[in-house]
Amino acid sequence: MKVSLVWSSPFPEKTIAVAMRRCYSTKPIEDIEAELEQKGPEYWKYLLSKALQDKSLDVLEHFVLTLAVEGAADADVGLLVRAFPYLRATQLRQSDWLMTFNARTLVELWKNPRGKTFAEMVVSELSRRGVCPIFNQLAFGVNENAS
Amino acid sequence: MKMRVKLLYHTDLDAVKRVLAQKGIAFDPEAMMDHVFYMFEIEDCSRVTTHQLVRHRAVSYDQESQRFSAATKEGVVTPPSIRSNEVGYKAYDGALKAVYSAYEEMVAAGVPKEDARYILPSAIKTKLVMTLNARNLMHLVWQRTALQAQWEIRELATTLHGLAQEATPELWTKIIER
Repeated sequence: MKVSLVWSSPFPEKTIAVAMRRCYSTKPIEDIEAELEQKGPEYWKYLLSKALQDKSLDVLEHFVLTLAVEGAADADVGLLVRAFPYLRATQLRQSDWLMTFNARTLVELWKNPRGKTFAEMVVSELSRRGVCPIFNQLAFGVNENAS
Repeated sequence: MKMRVKLLYHTDLDAVKRVLAQKGIAFDPEAMMDHVFYMFEIEDCSRVTTHQLVRHRAVSYDQESQRFSAATKEGVVTPPSIRSNEVGYKAYDGALKAVYSAYEEMVAAGVPKEDARYILPSAIKTKLVMTLNARNLMHLVWQRTALQAQWEIRELATTLHGLAQEATPELWTKIIER
């Protein structure tokens, strides 16, 4: 099976931080974004680690991924879709699929024996593309060179 | 302040199309509805409307909490039918003043905001982020722009529709059939 990233939410860690701050702030979104920009990635990391620690995984749902998956059998994809209802899969041809899900589902895949192998491939692809180094480090213990 | 809706991001359709082209598959908007996502910020609509909104499931919401943020009488939505009704508005305004006076009194006396908020009205303004795919958004728009829907969520659904259509016109070409 081969997994390639097609698209992901821009600035994933900042997007998760925006969702977290939205719950506790009365300010307009532009002010929240400016505050997060000013405080920088260390602060996003702090917020994300708190969300993961508290298991407040709802905020991860705003980080969405779309992947092209090659070489996946119908039965394997069927298992994933049934076990993870928020994972959407469209068959492009034979064993080629387009899959979309959010980072909460990715964490759940990682923790589930039925999803772990697939999740490892996705995390490896995200890591290779440098999409979300902070998220990969905190959620999966994957350390990348990027800060 | 009037309700405000902002599209924070949406899926790049060109990225999806490139993959389809590599596989020699034509772009079919219907087939791609599950894969195209939108994240919106919604500000200053009432909690009446967000109670209706969150009935749409398989959608991700994160909303301003009343547990920690203080409420003020200025932050309420007044329906046009109340505003234009002299007797109705007098009753509404009087009740709001009483409610907020009680709220402030409780908070000042040391009652936690999360408990004092039990007295707050559904008219209170709120802010939230919402992420959903085109299929769920289309269903929401279909249901909540109907004539039977309430005026405030109709306004919200109409705005969401407009923003999604502008961002990804190829997915929103069909007239929504009822």
